[in-house]
Amino acid sequence: MTTYRAPTRDLRFVIEELIGLERLAGLADLEAVTPELLEAVLAEAGRLADEVWAPLNVTGDQQGCSLTDGAVALPEGFADAYRAFVEGGWNGINAPPEHGGQGLPAVVASATQEMWHGANMALALAPMLSAGATTLLQRHGDASLRERFLGKLVSGEWTGTMDLSEPQAGSDLGQVACRAVPDGDAYRLHGEKIYITWGEHEAAENIIHLVLARTPDAPAGHRGISLFLVPKYLVEADGSLGARNDVHCTALEDKLGIHGSPTCTIAYGDREGAVGYLVGEAHRGLKYMFTMMNEARHKVGLQGVGVAERAYQQAVAFARERIQGRRPGGEAAVPILHHPDVRRMLMTMRAQTEAMRALALLAAAEMDVAEHSPDETARAAAQRRVDLLTPVVKAVATDQAVETASLGIQVHGGMGYVEELGVPQLLRDVRIAPIYEGTNGIQAQDFTLRKVLKDGGETLEGVLAEADGVVEALRADSALAGLGDGLAEALAALRGSTQRLLRDGADDALVPLTAATPYLAQAGLVLGGWLMGRAALVARQQGDAGSGDTAFYTAKLHTARFYMRHVLPRAHGYTPAIRGGSDELEAIDDEHW
Amino acid sequence: MGVLVFAEHDGAAVTEATRRAVSAASALGAPVDAVVAGGDEAEDVAASLAGTGVGRAWLCQGAPYADQLPEPLAERLVALVRAEGYEAVVAATSTQARDLLPRVAAGLDVQMLTDVTAIEDTETFVRPNYTGSVLARLRCREAVQVLTVRATNFAPPAADGTSPAVARLEPGTDPGLSRLLEVQRTDSSRPELASARVVVAGGRGVADVGVGELEALADRLGAAIGASRGAVEAGLLPNDAQVGLTAKVVAPDLYIAAGISGSIYHVSGMKDSGVIVAINKDPEAPIFDVADYGLVADLREALPQLLEALEPS
Amino acid sequence: MKVLAAVKRVVDYNVRVRVRADGSGVDTANTRMAMNPFDETAIEEAVRLREAGTASEVVAVTVGDAGSEEVLRTALAFGADRALRVESDAPLEPLAVSKALAAVADREQPDLVLMGKQAIDDDSNQVGQMLACHLGWAQATFACAVTPADDELHVVREVDGGQRTVAVALPAVVTTELELNEPRYIKLPSIMKAKKQAIERLGLAEIAVDGSPRLELLGVSEPPPREAGEQVDSAAALVDRLKNEAQVI
Repeated sequence: MTTYRAPTRDLRFVIEELIGLERLAGLADLEAVTPELLEAVLAEAGRLADEVWAPLNVTGDQQGCSLTDGAVALPEGFADAYRAFVEGGWNGINAPPEHGGQGLPAVVASATQEMWHGANMALALAPMLSAGATTLLQRHGDASLRERFLGKLVSGEWTGTMDLSEPQAGSDLGQVACRAVPDGDAYRLHGEKIYITWGEHEAAENIIHLVLARTPDAPAGHRGISLFLVPKYLVEADGSLGARNDVHCTALEDKLGIHGSPTCTIAYGDREGAVGYLVGEAHRGLKYMFTMMNEARHKVGLQGVGVAERAYQQAVAFARERIQGRRPGGEAAVPILHHPDVRRMLMTMRAQTEAMRALALLAAAEMDVAEHSPDETARAAAQRRVDLLTPVVKAVATDQAVETASLGIQVHGGMGYVEELGVPQLLRDVRIAPIYEGTNGIQAQDFTLRKVLKDGGETLEGVLAEADGVVEALRADSALAGLGDGLAEALAALRGSTQRLLRDGADDALVPLTAATPYLAQAGLVLGGWLMGRAALVARQQGDAGSGDTAFYTAKLHTARFYMRHVLPRAHGYTPAIRGGSDELEAIDDEHW
Repeated sequence: MGVLVFAEHDGAAVTEATRRAVSAASALGAPVDAVVAGGDEAEDVAASLAGTGVGRAWLCQGAPYADQLPEPLAERLVALVRAEGYEAVVAATSTQARDLLPRVAAGLDVQMLTDVTAIEDTETFVRPNYTGSVLARLRCREAVQVLTVRATNFAPPAADGTSPAVARLEPGTDPGLSRLLEVQRTDSSRPELASARVVVAGGRGVADVGVGELEALADRLGAAIGASRGAVEAGLLPNDAQVGLTAKVVAPDLYIAAGISGSIYHVSGMKDSGVIVAINKDPEAPIFDVADYGLVADLREALPQLLEALEPS
Repeated sequence: MKVLAAVKRVVDYNVRVRVRADGSGVDTANTRMAMNPFDETAIEEAVRLREAGTASEVVAVTVGDAGSEEVLRTALAFGADRALRVESDAPLEPLAVSKALAAVADREQPDLVLMGKQAIDDDSNQVGQMLACHLGWAQATFACAVTPADDELHVVREVDGGQRTVAVALPAVVTTELELNEPRYIKLPSIMKAKKQAIERLGLAEIAVDGSPRLELLGVSEPPPREAGEQVDSAAALVDRLKNEAQVI
């Protein structure tokens, strides 16, 4: 059985000490966050995550979901666990108070979201998808739609879905064929959507689908797609639930993982047509969709961190208990935790997870500034950083999570490959994260072309300049100087890669496309190094200050050292691939593949 | 001068735990007296202290004392300690002693020690903290030492042919703060798994012999029934009986694992038990690594034999 | 009825504490702290009494350092109306805690004091009984059911071998078992509300309590690991060991 304890102390370390609560001070319309409040919020969310959500993780995997006559049966306990989450007010944690939310910063919300995903990724997808639908409605819905639908989406009494994909329209949403025909004030939708996460279930009273479809007059391709709100049950003017809409789940996917999350095929308008309401203006659906993409992709990154944390905890627990083999020179058999290679694996898992947690939470703090700073320049600068960091968080955190979950299996040996302890589930579950919400290949393209090359590397350079400051501070401390040197070398490598792509990419569009994935991986390692360097500095200060938390900070320091010496140097390994161009990839004729 | 033992009893004789508390008390290096609270039965109870080395047995008889209510009893004990100049008050750890002695200690304005597991010398004591994961050594130089002692850590007194002198205490005033309404004894129904003193747990191996035998053993020992995940998955035992790290974590005085192989998950849920017994036909089963007593045997033979051996002779 | 609920901040029950290398105490650095689980039961019961209309006000109290105000915030988030901390930077022994609580009871004049039967750090199980003694009140320890009845409370107590039901006159001190109730999960909006509430503070000197320790801690250690077990050859031999050696049956 896998164990999970929400890593509240680590989350507080990142928010309070790496990012700093002062960064959130003075942001308009947000609740002030004190260390005590942060601790209480994380502790209580952690309690629900540990005690209610986490024990159902294996249940969800084993039982999965089933479809009977259009109704989806969830795994035992899922509906109650979801309701406990809603009753606890956790769904609206960072929604504005005027819609019934708690108005906490996104960085705090993100910390709780990591816990929900670590505790039970399949279940956490329900609020995650709802959040996307809520954001779209909040930003683009008219007053009457907001009035009717927003409150219950914020509270979580209703869930939301994002209906994008169709069989022929996956990564290329310009192919969407679902039709929306005007019918009075509303529209009637006809068509089929696939891969609809939590598309049908009975844990909530109503399900609000946000659906991409074409109106009859729409131009072809991306510019002809509109966004519609289609409720499972129609909602009367007084807010009460009316007739069942013509929206039905026709199939569930049989998947590698996240068995507790119903992945639905949804049929719209098999009979009279599904009643839908236009969100915002016609033909702007994809544009709207992209306004919430940053958030959705960021949340997938948090998923990676959450599951990686769980894999790490489980592996450490096993390594402590499993007695096997001797240390050099020792007589007695020891727990495998004492074997250098096992420690190396565990530390790799831990260091990667801590680096990506820091990066994900930092990006969330930038989202808070981008949305709530009273200073327009600060808002714009923060938004550029959010745009830059989002594909890194999404892709690098999830790729590393897959590696971490795999290492978790490795630490367990044979016990990791069999299902008894629940270890393989973590790898199966998290394997989707590099795929959905834009594959990691698409993230790499987005990062390389749109986020770096497009502005000549300026936003990235702004971040790297901060990292230079960390290098200096590390070098100023004789005990950490070596870490500063390592970080400096990695920064130089990344800058070199960027310059090279700026130069060669201008002549040959295939160069950056081929280099994108290794380039993003290199950037992810270096940005992680920046924050792990900061963690080392904080840990040193706290150690000198004689903080009572000596063991905690000592562990942080050693984790940072390990990252700099064992993980960060991998960044250099990507350099040849980034510079190598695409000749050999293009050289083979298609028939010889 | 002397040590006063609060003698808990079952209505006829002092408990075995009390006899051991007497031997613990004698380690304090002063003559040991005892006090028995009750009604008419107190005299018989006092007589049952014969051979323990107790010099004098105080009988604290009368209405409020017969119901063992803590408020009047504590008040009377405080007065007795003061009048006789006792230097220590000792009782075996039990719910009654844990209810009563802190009130006595407060009445004497002394800091007491709960659940002492070792008496190193007349002022140095060991007691567990953090649910037994830490042992603390403490020096107590209070005017009156008040202790509850974990009886199983002390040997019973060697029989010595003494017989306590019996003395009656004048009843004190009854403050009339509380009344006893009802006493319910657990007998037929099994205790709660989480708090049971004895747990009999079955694994997949129980399929060989049937759940009935396991239940018979549990009933014989007044035990709760626990289960490994294997037994639950095999449908042998209910889910709420499952012992394991994320199911129920138990620490009874006695844990009998019957037909359980001993996965890490299961062991994490019971390894803090007082005494662990493993019965398994596989001599290599990991459960034997954590067992105090192991019996390599087929449950089909072992369980009936165990029941037979437990029958009172 | 006015209820005083006493709560303590302890190392979280999930945390396995480790003894400091020098044996001077337990290493509580980097450990998750939480409200003593038995006290959660007590505050839950207090709030339920108010929700049922039996109690009119619930006041949460703790004795401890500034950090322990976190458990008062928790108590407020559970639904306590007010919260009060008796300030003590050093941990106090149960006798001193009981005196501090008695002083608070003198000021607050509650009809009922609820608290956990023991704290899971030092496992002393003394404060409630000592408090009842100082106040001259009735006590009902190990409560697994509490029912108001006229001017008294009927309390079912978990005792060795069964249950004892007692009627206690009010005011009284009741200490709780986990079986008494299932504490609620605290809602986020309640946390947000609790953070805005004021916490009253009282100095030990103000209430004339001497917090100096009576016992001297000589050192702590971890219990010796389980010794290698013994293989017995028959069921009869097993029963013999359990009866005569281990003395558990």
